[in-house]
Amino acid sequence: MITQMHLKGLMFDPYNNAYIVVLRDEDGHEMLPIWVGKAEAGAISMALENVAPPRPMTHDFMKSILDAYDAKVISVVITDLNENTYFAKIHLMYQDSEYTVDARPSDAIALALRSNAPVFAKESVLNKQSSEELEQWLENLKPEDFGKLDS
Amino acid sequence: MGQTDPAPKQRLVEYVVDRVLDETNTDTKILVLARQDGHLDSFPIWIGSAEGHAIKLALDTTLTPRPMSHDLVKSFMEHLNVTVRRVVIGDVKNSTYYATVYLENNGVERTVDARPSDAISLALRTRAPLYVSEDVLARRNTANLESWLAKQDVKSSTKQPEVQES
Repeated sequence: MITQMHLKGLMFDPYNNAYIVVLRDEDGHEMLPIWVGKAEAGAISMALENVAPPRPMTHDFMKSILDAYDAKVISVVITDLNENTYFAKIHLMYQDSEYTVDARPSDAIALALRSNAPVFAKESVLNKQSSEELEQWLENLKPEDFGKLDS
Repeated sequence: MGQTDPAPKQRLVEYVVDRVLDETNTDTKILVLARQDGHLDSFPIWIGSAEGHAIKLALDTTLTPRPMSHDLVKSFMEHLNVTVRRVVIGDVKNSTYYATVYLENNGVERTVDARPSDAISLALRTRAPLYVSEDVLARRNTANLESWLAKQDVKSSTKQPEVQES
């Protein structure tokens, strides 16, 4: 089973000096935090804010290569989140065949946003990621830790 | 004659990635290319620190637990059977270098506009050759280069560059 997730926000985690991409399902029952590096957060934030950089950034370049051969990103699935190793699959359609490519969730999400492709999470990932951990963590945050994207 | 060609071929000079240096006071790195045709020349390009990191990983052939962004680009290309024929740094405008990635799939050639850092990150991972056009070599900002070289002379006597030519 997979659940469609929406990007809820991007915040700075001062304790780990990293960023958190927060995904949420349609009814807000499930929250999925994904810790990403600064460059990866930047790539996601640019797509979220619809910023057109003067030169193509890495994920714009990635999309240009797919566009050059009419390959389309159909969907992205977050398949596993461990301590340090995060897994996602990117589903591509190319010349009537489907291809599944292994990726980090940060790259997959940055590309999905640029391709208007939906992002899903596997149920096992949602179950594994206890929301307690996130809630506890959120309680410790100060308002200034929240990026302007978070509502 | 070349004149009749609608897009006359640029004269190209082959370079390789020599090393990536830290620029101490800023969040940038310097990518140094070395000319391959017997003429000694270093061609520095200032790039972002994440971009520099991506190039270093490829230069040192570091294996990361998960695919980094340019590994993912390479993986897409392998799935789609697209190869990188070459990367050309073919233009410079307002001190910004422009690169073109030449792709091929079953005889179908495509070009993609890129920042030199992305193009070179991919070229290193796919073992594609890298060229700088003579036009760019003639028009590069040498004032910048000379001040950089002067700094290098001071540095090289005190400190080893962090990525050596292998």
